[in-house]
Amino acid sequence: MQKLGKQTIKFDYPPTILNTATIVGPKEADGPLAKYFDKCLEDEMWGEKSWEKAESKIIKETVNILVAKSGLPTEKIEYCFAGDLINQCISSTFGLRELNVPLYGIFGACSTFVEAIQLASVFIENGINYALCTASSHFCSAERQFRFPLELGNQRPPTAQWTVTACGALILSKEGNGPFVTHITSRKNCRYGNKRCK
Amino acid sequence: MTNPLDTNKTYQSYVDKKSPNSPLLKNCFNAFWIGGLICSIGQIIFSYCTYRGLNETSSSTIVSILLIGLSAFLTGLNIFNKIGKIAGAGSLVPITGFANSIVAPAMEYKTEGYVMGVGAKMFTIAGPVIVYGISTSIIVGLLYLIFNTQAILV
Repeated sequence: MQKLGKQTIKFDYPPTILNTATIVGPKEADGPLAKYFDKCLEDEMWGEKSWEKAESKIIKETVNILVAKSGLPTEKIEYCFAGDLINQCISSTFGLRELNVPLYGIFGACSTFVEAIQLASVFIENGINYALCTASSHFCSAERQFRFPLELGNQRPPTAQWTVTACGALILSKEGNGPFVTHITSRKNCRYGNKRCK
Repeated sequence: MTNPLDTNKTYQSYVDKKSPNSPLLKNCFNAFWIGGLICSIGQIIFSYCTYRGLNETSSSTIVSILLIGLSAFLTGLNIFNKIGKIAGAGSLVPITGFANSIVAPAMEYKTEGYVMGVGAKMFTIAGPVIVYGISTSIIVGLLYLIFNTQAILV
């Protein structure tokens, strides 16, 4: 492992992506990427009693699909790096609880997944064999957490964003056929207008 | 041309320039006719009540009750938010918007239980309106008391 410049790390033994899995909600399934997803839900609640429980179930099932696809027994997974948008990363905590594996809960909002891959890569570079990375969000639980109740009759501006209902997961491995994580570069925490930002 | 990333201000104006604006004319038109329709429904109820011989105070109370009830019912059926999406202020400003702002969180937070969910979070949106509405009326009342004691005594 070698540091290049101020923000980049170059790996001596680049970790590789063993396999990936994705589950998405109904709105995402309507889009042009639908054929690339492993499973598309028709109901955002997925038979659960709350949006948060539904999100946990999405994570759990995504990991199940991932494990089935990669053929790796769950006991081989050594660390989890997971994040979502809910307080205390509770959706990931509950969704990954049955794995019985150490979990690093991370919060990077839009960057959560890449953040998970970066941290897991550093672990693998230093001797770990397999690490699981997930990121998830649920439109309804995020609306409740950050915005307004769903039934509130408010008007969205054209630039309003829509939180994805989905979970993406991958297993990073020490050995495999790629794609590889050769370098990681993280953003500096700064604000436009700050001279040191450039 | 200056670099938009130079200062916070130039970046903000760059973003404002690039992002699409709300369709103001269309929004105003929809707000006007839907808001007008809601008020007309209120007026129809009011006129019917006075026609049946109720006095004005009772009639306006009945109008409020019916409009609040209707709005709460439509919120429960997941219809009011669809109206609100088109109407904007048209459905927000009349009493229907107030009813919606209380029923919507009550529904949303029901999963957190009846005390800490519905009870505690029902007023998250309407709360500020109530707090400042009441506070303002207290201040106005005090001013009235100070400057117009004669009128109260009489």
